[in-house]
Amino acid sequence: MRHGRWRFLLGALVPALVLHVVFVLSPYAQAFYLSLTDWTGVAGQASFVGADNYVRLGGDTLFLDAVRNNLVLLAVFPLVTIAIGLFLASMLRQSSSRLGAGYRIVYFFPQLLSLVVVAVLWSFVYNPNTGLLNSGLRAVGLGGLARSWLAEPSFALLSVAAVLVWSSVGFYVVLFSAAIEGIPAELFEAAKLDGAGRWAMFFRVTLPLVRESVQVAFVYLGIAALDAFAVVQIMTVGPGGPDGATEVIGLSLYRTAFSYGKFGYASAMGVALFFATLTLAVLALRSGRRERLELA
Amino acid sequence: MTLLRSPSASATSIPSAPPARTNPNPLPHIAMFCWAVVTALPLLWAVVSSFKTDDEILNTPWSLPSSLEVDNWVRAWTAASIGRYFLNSLIVVGGALILTMLLGSLVAYALARYEFRGNRLIYYVFVAAMFFPVFLALVPLFFVVQQLGLLGTYPGLILVYTAYAVPFTVFFLHSFFRTLPSEIAEAAFLDGCSHGAVFFRVMLPLARPGLFAVGIFNFLGLWNQYLLPLVLNPDPDRYVLAQGLAALSVSQGYRSDWSGLFAGLTIAMLPVLIAYVAFQRHIRAGMTAGAVK
Amino acid sequence: MNPESQLRPYPTRRTLLRTAVTAAVAVPALAGCVTSSSDSPSAVSEGAEKTADNPLGVKADAPLEVVVFKGGYGDDYAVQAEKAYTGKYPQAKVDHKGLQKVGEAMQPRFVAGTPPDVVDNTGAGRLDIATLVGASQVNDLADLLDAPSLDQPGKKVRDTLLPGVVEDGTFAGRTVALNFTYTVWGVWYSKSFFASRGWTFPTSWAEMLTLSAEIRKAGVAPWTYQGKYPEYINDPLLSMAAKAGGTDLIKAVDNLQPGAWKQEGLVQAATAFAELAGRGFLMSGSEALSHTEAQAAWCQRKAAFIPCGSWLESEQKGVAPAGFDMVMGAVPALGPGKLPVSAVQAASSESFLVPAKAKNAAGGKEYLRLLFSKGSATAFAKANSTLPSVAGATDGLTLSSGLGSVRDAVTAAGTDTFTYRFRTWYAPLAKAVDDATGELVNKRLSPADWSTRIQKAADALAKDSTITKYER
Repeated sequence: MRHGRWRFLLGALVPALVLHVVFVLSPYAQAFYLSLTDWTGVAGQASFVGADNYVRLGGDTLFLDAVRNNLVLLAVFPLVTIAIGLFLASMLRQSSSRLGAGYRIVYFFPQLLSLVVVAVLWSFVYNPNTGLLNSGLRAVGLGGLARSWLAEPSFALLSVAAVLVWSSVGFYVVLFSAAIEGIPAELFEAAKLDGAGRWAMFFRVTLPLVRESVQVAFVYLGIAALDAFAVVQIMTVGPGGPDGATEVIGLSLYRTAFSYGKFGYASAMGVALFFATLTLAVLALRSGRRERLELA
Repeated sequence: MTLLRSPSASATSIPSAPPARTNPNPLPHIAMFCWAVVTALPLLWAVVSSFKTDDEILNTPWSLPSSLEVDNWVRAWTAASIGRYFLNSLIVVGGALILTMLLGSLVAYALARYEFRGNRLIYYVFVAAMFFPVFLALVPLFFVVQQLGLLGTYPGLILVYTAYAVPFTVFFLHSFFRTLPSEIAEAAFLDGCSHGAVFFRVMLPLARPGLFAVGIFNFLGLWNQYLLPLVLNPDPDRYVLAQGLAALSVSQGYRSDWSGLFAGLTIAMLPVLIAYVAFQRHIRAGMTAGAVK
Repeated sequence: MNPESQLRPYPTRRTLLRTAVTAAVAVPALAGCVTSSSDSPSAVSEGAEKTADNPLGVKADAPLEVVVFKGGYGDDYAVQAEKAYTGKYPQAKVDHKGLQKVGEAMQPRFVAGTPPDVVDNTGAGRLDIATLVGASQVNDLADLLDAPSLDQPGKKVRDTLLPGVVEDGTFAGRTVALNFTYTVWGVWYSKSFFASRGWTFPTSWAEMLTLSAEIRKAGVAPWTYQGKYPEYINDPLLSMAAKAGGTDLIKAVDNLQPGAWKQEGLVQAATAFAELAGRGFLMSGSEALSHTEAQAAWCQRKAAFIPCGSWLESEQKGVAPAGFDMVMGAVPALGPGKLPVSAVQAASSESFLVPAKAKNAAGGKEYLRLLFSKGSATAFAKANSTLPSVAGATDGLTLSSGLGSVRDAVTAAGTDTFTYRFRTWYAPLAKAVDDATGELVNKRLSPADWSTRIQKAADALAKDSTITKYER
C-alpha cells in the first residue's frame, strides 16, 4: 500500500507542480532578476544595471501619473463598491424573498461579463454626442451635466472608476447578503426592541457582524483597483489619457514591454506593482484576525 | 481573472433565519429598483441596439429599432469573425477547464487527505500565487511561452490558463475535501481499491457540489480572460472572444459597423447570462460553500 | 523579431502602414536567431545569360517560391503576378504561400539558410528588416531597379516608382526591399456637400480659418478629429510644419537635434491648430470620439473636415451615404514655405524582398519586376481601391472619388513628398507628441508650452543611452 500511496501522490502532484513552476513561479522569479537588467529581448544581451531601472521609475512622469491614478482608484473604488454593496445587501434582507432573489440575479449580471465587454459597452454609453448617458441627460433636461466624460482630465478617471464599481457591486451584494443572512434574526429583533432605527441597526448589528467579509472585500477590490488595465486600455483616450489622466501601472508596463521593447524596465514596474499589492494585502489582513491568513 | 481571485467565502453564512417581512418604508425598494435599472439598462441597451441599423444607433440611441435587423447578428458572426472567436474561446476554455479541474482536484485532494513532509509548503506555494499580480509575471511569461514554441497556439494558451487557474481551484477544493467523511474512503481501501480508484470513484463523486461551483467560477474567469491572450495569443485567427471584441472596437482599418459590434457584444454576453440564470443557485451555493468548514 | 510588430494587440491598420514603411528600422528588439550564420550568400545558383528579354538572367526552369502576407489586400494580386511568371517561363514550377504570420514561418528558414525566393515581409509578426540587413540576409535589388520596366518601354524599374519608395526600402545605402502600396495623409471633405454649400477647399491656412467661420455660421462644425487617438490630428499639424520648414525641419526632428521642436515652423503650426480649437472650429465632443465615431459624424455631415490617411475611403464603405464623394486635399500651408502647398506626407508599405540565400534570386527579382509592372499594379488598384507604389498605375482608370483625389494629390505633389521617421524610431517620443497635441487642441496647453514640453521629451530621449539612435 505504501508504494501505491507514493505513486498516487506523485501522479497527483507532479503534473500540476511542473505547470506551476514553469508558467507561474519561474516567471515571477525571473521578473525580479529582469528588473535589474536592461534587457531588450535579444537573447544573451541583458546586462546587469543594478537599481537603475528603479531610479528611472522615480523620474518617469507617466509612471508617476500611473501610480497616482492607481492610488486614487484604490481610495475610491473599493470604498464606494463596498458601501453600495452593503447598503443594497441590508436592504435586500428586508425585502420579500422572491423580489430579493430577482434583484440579486440582476445585480450579479455585470460580474459575469468580461471586462472587455463591459469596457466596450461603456465606451458607447460615454460617447459625448450619441451615447446613452449624455442623450439620457439631455432628454430629461439635464443637458448641462452632459460632457466628454472620458476626455476631460477631471472626469476621465472617475468615469473609469464608475465602470469598475458598476461591474463589481453585484458580486459583493451577493457576498454580503450571505453574511447578513447568517446573522441570527434575534439580534435584529432585540435591537428593534431597544428602539434602534434603521441606521442604528445597520451600524450596531449588521456592520460589526459582517466585518470579516468587508475586509476580504477590501483586499480583492484593492487588488482590482491596482489593476484596472482592461477598462483603461479599451475605453480611454490614448489610451491612458487625456495626457496621462487615466494611466495605470499595468498599462505603462504593457506599453513599455510590448510596444517599446524595454523588458527590463517593464519588469521593474511589475515588481513595484507587486510590492504595492503585497503591502495592501498585509495591511488589510493585519487589521483583521490572523486566522484568515491561514485560509486552510 | 477577477472571479478566480474572488473570495470564496464569507466567514459566516449559513442562513439561519428567514428575511424579515416586508417593510412599509418605500425607500429601500426605490434604491434597489434604481440599482437594478442602472445595472440592467446598459445591457438591455446593447441587446436592443444589436437589432438597430447603424443610423438609428448613431442618431437615436434611446429609440427602439424600427425593424429587427437580424442581419447584424449574421454579419457579426461571419464577417466580423465573432463565430471564429467564439469557437476559439470554446476550444481554449474547454481544454483549460478540463485540465484545471483534473489537476486542481488531484492536488487539492492529495494535500487535504494525505499527511507527508512538505504538504504545507506545497499548499502555500500554490495558494500564494493567487495574491501575486499577473502583471509581474507577464514579461517573463511571454518569453517562456515563446521559447517553448507555444506562442499563439491553443496548447500554449490552455497550459497557461490552467497554470493560472489551478491555485484558486486548489484553495477552494482543499477545504472541501477536508470536510468529506473519511469512513467511506477507508471502506473503499478495505475493499482493495487503489489510491487512484478511491479518488476517482469515491471522493470525486462526493465532492461534486464543490467541483461544480469551482468549475463555474473557473469557467467564468477563463472565458473572460483578456490580459493573458492579449500577450500570448497574437494571431488574429486564434483570437478568443474577449480579444476579438476588443480588436473590433479599438482597431483601425476595420469597416465601421456599430450594429455588428453590438450584436457581437450580445453574442458574447448572452451565453454567460443564460448559464447564470440557469445555475445561479449553484453559484450562490458555491460562493458560500467555503464557509462549510 | 520585433516585439512591437509581433505583439501590438491590434496591429492597427495605421501602425501597419506606418511601421511597415520604415519597416523595422525600428527597434530590432527580439532579433535573436536571424543574426546567426551570416556570411556568404554561397549556394545561390548561377543564373542564365542576361538578355534584353531576360535582363536579370533568369533560369527558365528554376522553380520559384513566393511567400506573401495575406492581409487586408488578400493575395490574389500576387497570384496574378505568379501566373504572369509561369506565362513567361512555362517550365518553372511556382510555389505560392499566402500567410498571415510571415515572420514566424520564415524565421527558421532564414536561420537554416533555406529561405524562399520572394518574401512579402508585412503584417504583425513580420521580420525585423534592420536585423536581416545586418545579417546580410537580403539581396541587393540594385540590378532589379536598373532593369528595364516590363511594360513601360524606355524606363527603368527605378523610374516607374513613386517618390520615396526606393528610399523607404534602402538601408545602409542598399535598396533591399520594395514596398508595393502607397499611403498619403491629408484633410478630407465631401465634394458634394461642399458643392451644395458653395465652399471650396482652401490652400492657405488663412483661407481655412475664413471658410471655417463661414461653415460654422451655416450650422456645421468645421472640423472633427479622431480624438481618442490624438495622432490623427498630429498629422496635419506636422504636415503644415513640414511645408513651412522643409526637409531640414523634418530631419532636425527625426535626428533629435537640440531645439528641433522649437523650430518656427512647428511652433507656427501648433499655433494654427491652437487657434482652430480656440475659435471653436472643432466639433464639440470630438476629443472623446474614436476614429470610427468621428469619421461617422463627418460622414453624416456634422463636420466639414477630417484629417486622415488614404485608407479612409475603404474604412467608411457602408457608412458614407450615397453621393457623399469624399475627397482628400493637401494640408493648407501657413504661407510661402520651403515646400509647396501641394506637398503631401506619404509613405509606402507592403514590403517585398528577395533573401540573400534564395535558390532562385534572379527569378525572385524577375517576379518583382512582373509584380511592379504597371499592368499588375493597375489590377491591384482596381481590386483594392488602394494606390500602388507604381507611378501612373491608376492613370486612365475610373477611380472612386477618394482614390482619385489621392492619386491627384500624389501627382500634384510630384517629388515633394515627405515623411517623419521619429514615430517608428522612437515610440515614446511619438506618445509624448500625441499627448501634447491632444492637450493643445483641447486648449489645455499653449503652443509655446507644447513645443517646450515635446522638446524636453526629445532631449531626454537623445540623452538616454539605452535607446538605439538612428540618423537620416
